[in-house]
Amino acid sequence: MSTKLDFSVLLREDYPRLIIEGIVTMLQLTGYAWMLAMALGILLALLRMTRNRWAERAVALYVEYHQNVPMLVQIFLWYFGVPTLLPDSVQLWFNQRHSEFLFAIIAVGLCMSAYISESLRSGIRSIPASQMEAARALGLSYLRASRLVILPQALRIALPTLVSHSVLLFKNTSLAMVIGVAELTYATREIESQSFHTIETYLLTTVIYLGISLLIMAGGAFLENRYRIKTR
Amino acid sequence: MIIDIFHILRDNWTLLLIGQYPNGPLGGLAVTLILSVAGLTLAFPVSVLLALGRVSPIRILRAATSAIIYTVRGVPLVMFIFWVYFFVPLLIGTTISGFTTMLVTVVLYEAAYLAEVIRAGIEGLPKGQVEASRALGMGYGQTMFKIVLPQALYNMLPAMVSQFVSTIKETSLGYVISVNELTFAANQINSTLLTKPFPVFVMLALIYFLLCSLLTQFARWLERRIAKRRTGGPRSIAAADMSTAADPVGATTAA
Amino acid sequence: MTTFTENTSIDTMISFHEVNKWYGTYHALADVNANVAKGEVVVVCGPSGSGKSTLIRTVNRLEEIQKGSIVFDGQDVHAPKLDLNRFRARVGFVFQSFNLFPHLTVLDNIVMAPVNVHRSKRSDARLRALELLERVGLETKAGAYPGQLSGGQQQRVAIARALAMDPPAMLFDEPTSALDPEMVGEVLQVMKQLARDGMTMICVTHEMGFAREVADRVWFMDQGRIVETGAPEDFFLRPQTQRAQKFLSELRAH
Repeated sequence: MSTKLDFSVLLREDYPRLIIEGIVTMLQLTGYAWMLAMALGILLALLRMTRNRWAERAVALYVEYHQNVPMLVQIFLWYFGVPTLLPDSVQLWFNQRHSEFLFAIIAVGLCMSAYISESLRSGIRSIPASQMEAARALGLSYLRASRLVILPQALRIALPTLVSHSVLLFKNTSLAMVIGVAELTYATREIESQSFHTIETYLLTTVIYLGISLLIMAGGAFLENRYRIKTR
Repeated sequence: MIIDIFHILRDNWTLLLIGQYPNGPLGGLAVTLILSVAGLTLAFPVSVLLALGRVSPIRILRAATSAIIYTVRGVPLVMFIFWVYFFVPLLIGTTISGFTTMLVTVVLYEAAYLAEVIRAGIEGLPKGQVEASRALGMGYGQTMFKIVLPQALYNMLPAMVSQFVSTIKETSLGYVISVNELTFAANQINSTLLTKPFPVFVMLALIYFLLCSLLTQFARWLERRIAKRRTGGPRSIAAADMSTAADPVGATTAA
Repeated sequence: MTTFTENTSIDTMISFHEVNKWYGTYHALADVNANVAKGEVVVVCGPSGSGKSTLIRTVNRLEEIQKGSIVFDGQDVHAPKLDLNRFRARVGFVFQSFNLFPHLTVLDNIVMAPVNVHRSKRSDARLRALELLERVGLETKAGAYPGQLSGGQQQRVAIARALAMDPPAMLFDEPTSALDPEMVGEVLQVMKQLARDGMTMICVTHEMGFAREVADRVWFMDQGRIVETGAPEDFFLRPQTQRAQKFLSELRAH
């Protein structure tokens, strides 16, 4: 086993293209899934705030499901299971495009939306009821009070957890490789099996993942500082 | 569809539960549980050491353990599995089975996350405890092992059960390296049946759901018990975090 | 006087008629009948649990009543077609714990309601807000955040925030109880000036000095009822009922 690391291997053939495409796909997956997760997460948190019993139960079930079923299983269910429920014409349409990309986004996005809604919920709960009271006493409607007074504060309080969930979401996109999405981990395996330079390939990928994770965390720290509720 | 699930279960329950045993290796849910329990148990002492390093007054120790933990937390579990799959045979000279690979992965991965849980427990303990202990003349080590850790670990029991749930979910990734656990077994069934992927995977999801949500409920019950016992004393911060999402912050792969 | 009825005249700003409230079986407010005239300053006092806070909170329906009626500036508070939000904007309410919005600057706190409820233009609302801040002595703090202010300053901002809606009357729920003693004065100062400027006010407070200086009447409440009322000098020097006498003697003992 050679002990020399030769990173130039990675520049041969079409490896650079594979890697870059892998990174782009990974970032696309992350971006779309994140937007889906945030949008749904906020919606679910607001739904839970309405104190409607059925809404609460539905959201609670949604959250329980997504938090207790492994991400991989969720991806399988969406990719293998759900299409069979759709009419044949739609299935054909899916098969012609790369549906695995779409389903990966849906699966990851929906799963993380459950976690995000929980973070927001606990953020909302930690805001004293007197804030809502004061807002209502001023004449703000429930919706406006939620949007202008409660949610901004809840987001600030939940920011650390939200950042952590974002990092998790980013890492979870790697699971898309199992259904054939050509993101970074998939590309890594490809290159490794062709070039046999395992350490170099793995190292590169690991560094990229670590780097982006740290970037997200740094971004989160920056946001935390900027939007911190100022005290003396 | 429910009838389908029922049929599939009825026809395949042994495969799902214990794999092909005794006509083959152990598999299915049994392996999932063995991996999780063994993994977490073996990870525990490592995580205690890592946590102690994280809170240590020695700067180098703090930096080193923080670096380790950040690295493990910044890398996807899949990559981690591949690393272990490649590296460990190199280290010990012989090839290892998928099961062993998965076990080592779980141990290392969970050690990092558990370490953070334990650290939260240690830091969440009221400072007065340490102050009182030192004032009585007890040294750092004695304080840590006789006063701080026992309480921290007790307080973090709910969070640790939560980590156990995460571990169970993580074992599903054994599929990627053909470890014969529950998800793998379900996929086997799917490849045989071919025409009923939806019921198969709904069934799989249900099994995990039942198992994990029961454990999560147990964790919440534990949390309430502990909180009641400790009324008068402040609840540890992380235990409060725990009640928000069934997993400690970031310490779940949801995988 | 242990009971009273008063003629409701066109000059009445707030009136309570046969107001009753229960929390389950606990009778929180019992047969409350009272009126507040325009420009009048009423101080409500009594032992804790007497229902004083509950009473003023029924006016803007932060608490609901089961029996009776309340009229505010000619408006039946429980009218079925009432736009509750717009109505609440007309009732100035100051909380014991200030309840400023911590994520907004002082100016934004004051501007929030006029812009969002009255649909005022932001620029107009800002000008008005700065005027009000001057009135309470805090024009320099417009860009500060509540967390950067002392308790007394926060409460003064809260008063300005309530005034921003140009309410015909203001309700104060123990406005100084949560303040350190040295800051009570600055808040009372603002309230006294408001009273002198002719604002209709109901103040739940223990500050008897304030009551003596600016109140027109004192309502003494005990166990959900208004047990005694009178002009401040009369009430403090010659309390008529036993319960009032007991309350005042205990107050003086501190």
